[in-house]
Amino acid sequence: MYKMRVATCLALLAAFAGVRAANAGVLEEAAERYRPYLIEGVGNALAGARALRERAAAADLAGAKKAWISARAGWERSEVFTAGFVPELDAQIDAWPNADSGFHAIEAKLFGAGNTDVDADAAALVEHLNDLHIRLRDMKLTPQGLLDGTVRLAYEVGESKADGGESRISGTSLDDMRNNIAGIDFAYHTIFSAALNTVDGKHDEMVTSRIERLEAIIATPDLPHVDIPDLRRTSEELVVALQGASAKLGLQRPTLEAQAR
Amino acid sequence: MNSLRLRLAALASAFMAVALLGRALAFPVDGDKTVLPATTELNEDALDKPREVFRSERAGGKSYLVNLGDLAFNSPGLLGDVARQAGVSCGTCHVNGASNAKFFVPKMSTQPGTFDTTGPLFNPKANNLVLDPVRIPSLRGARYLAPYGADGRFASLRDFVHNVITNEFAGPEPSPAIVDAIVAYIQDIDFLPNPSLGPGGRLVGKASESERRGEVLFSRPFPHDPAMSCAGCHVPSAGFVDHQQHDVGSGGLFKTPTLRNADFNAPYFHDGRFDNFNQVVDHFDRTFELGLSEQDKRDLVAYLTAVGDGAQPYERDGAGATLKEINDFSTVLATAIPAGDKETVALAIDTIGRELRELTEQYPDRKNTSVSGGERQRLLARNGLKELVLTLRRIDMAVAAGRNADAATEFRNYRYLMAAAVPALLASAEPWSLFNQDVHDQHYAALRQVMQSKHLSH
Repeated sequence: MYKMRVATCLALLAAFAGVRAANAGVLEEAAERYRPYLIEGVGNALAGARALRERAAAADLAGAKKAWISARAGWERSEVFTAGFVPELDAQIDAWPNADSGFHAIEAKLFGAGNTDVDADAAALVEHLNDLHIRLRDMKLTPQGLLDGTVRLAYEVGESKADGGESRISGTSLDDMRNNIAGIDFAYHTIFSAALNTVDGKHDEMVTSRIERLEAIIATPDLPHVDIPDLRRTSEELVVALQGASAKLGLQRPTLEAQAR
Repeated sequence: MNSLRLRLAALASAFMAVALLGRALAFPVDGDKTVLPATTELNEDALDKPREVFRSERAGGKSYLVNLGDLAFNSPGLLGDVARQAGVSCGTCHVNGASNAKFFVPKMSTQPGTFDTTGPLFNPKANNLVLDPVRIPSLRGARYLAPYGADGRFASLRDFVHNVITNEFAGPEPSPAIVDAIVAYIQDIDFLPNPSLGPGGRLVGKASESERRGEVLFSRPFPHDPAMSCAGCHVPSAGFVDHQQHDVGSGGLFKTPTLRNADFNAPYFHDGRFDNFNQVVDHFDRTFELGLSEQDKRDLVAYLTAVGDGAQPYERDGAGATLKEINDFSTVLATAIPAGDKETVALAIDTIGRELRELTEQYPDRKNTSVSGGERQRLLARNGLKELVLTLRRIDMAVAAGRNADAATEFRNYRYLMAAAVPALLASAEPWSLFNQDVHDQHYAALRQVMQSKHLSH
């Protein structure tokens, strides 16, 4: 009897290991499918940054602002990746609250001071984004790293923006949130959803419903109308659901801060 | 001793001056996408917080009801949609049950420390179309200070609390249990002890000559109406109140405010028109033709300062103080989870989770380049706090689904983290946190630099 139980356990373990191995392959393939979209997102940010530099050099304030918003959108959509894989670059490009470098330094000048004297900052932004764009072709995209990034970003979108949020000078914090959530949606459904659905369809539904709920919460005319407590609750429920999904996907429980593993 | 008192008074004045200066320097709400009007000042970044003394802590510990009341008092969800969105709770104005001398909302305040409870911002239905803010009072010793409201229109503290929630703000009808809990909490807040005051409210110990003369003047009948005196209304043996409303030439009938701990309750009068005791004494001298000499005025101010003193009025904010408050709030869960009390669990988790998220922001992340050093410690502190937030969320989800046993297991995990692991992580990261004055200043200087770019140019 005892031997039978041991044999059953071993068989289950073997089967579970098989699921993990199968998932690992599926997820790695899915992560590769995500790569071109990631390259495209960072490419859009780079194109925006180049346009920003060009418009600023021509003293075209309105054009430079428009290009800044475009560059920012590409960056915020890619934050699932950037926060986890290139944290040092994230600190350079998206430093906050300092207005010394990166997006927010340029934001303060364009949208705050209303001048186009941003060439040095814009050149640095172009250089950083260009470097990242090149590196993305060969960088190893691990499913674990992408799940970690998705979870961290899901938690971050739940932070209160009652004070105007990170991009308060340009008044585009709501756009940041929308692009963040679009990035989460895209990463989850490109990389993890199908694999999770195979193992636990209900759990996949739970994650998807929370993402859809976040999208509904931010479909407001402006930032002050975003239901902040609902946003926070839903973001936390999404993180809890994604943490629960990690074991089912054969991945480690995601950490909430980069390098905390 | 006389010089000591004067030094203390000077220190109090200096503190007030710094506080007012701080209003110009501290980082306010700003931008054009905020819930509250731009340049609103909530003073939430202050590193010195009023000290809160509870009657029940001297008697062995706070009850469930008091902790629930404290929790509800600090929950923005109680005060309606705008407050909920803005994160404004009773505790925003009454910090640790005291007043908030720097609180200022444009078009709702005429000066720091005042607020128009009949203004349009939080409840348009309450709007009387007149800018008539009242001073934000301290709630210390409130159980001795009926009636309630600046004009004393509520005999019952319970009725007053209910009115604030549903009429001054636009909060949904609170459950009777929550109102009872808030009343229990407020009634538990004691005055700060004042060793200079003996039984009957008389000065004891080594009072200065000036204070003694002031005490005599305080009880001296008014020249033009011998039935009146300062002490006739501010009855020393009754907490320096008489539970009545009077017209003292400030535009109507207003209740007698207590003088206990009043050193920390500026501005003064119902509408906060006076910044200090000198102005208050001048007003009474003029209005009631008291004929006070300059020395009399100094003596009265010395006496008021002695009466209004309190031990350790402020305490340094830090992770320890915040965790203590959160632990008090969390005791509510120890009762509500086994009872399957979904409403209370949701309230507690919303409030505690919000506090934990705010505490997380005291440990700047790597993107905050105004702070250098301790990156690993900050990261681990943030990670630990986020784990707590998510553990609470799991409890909320479990209770909502009727899985009380799962909730109890998660609550044990939460208590384990709160008992040792998280406090250790926060202590380790404290030198690089916003609780450190230098780091705090660097961080807010960076924020101001960003915001000023908007205001300098146009």
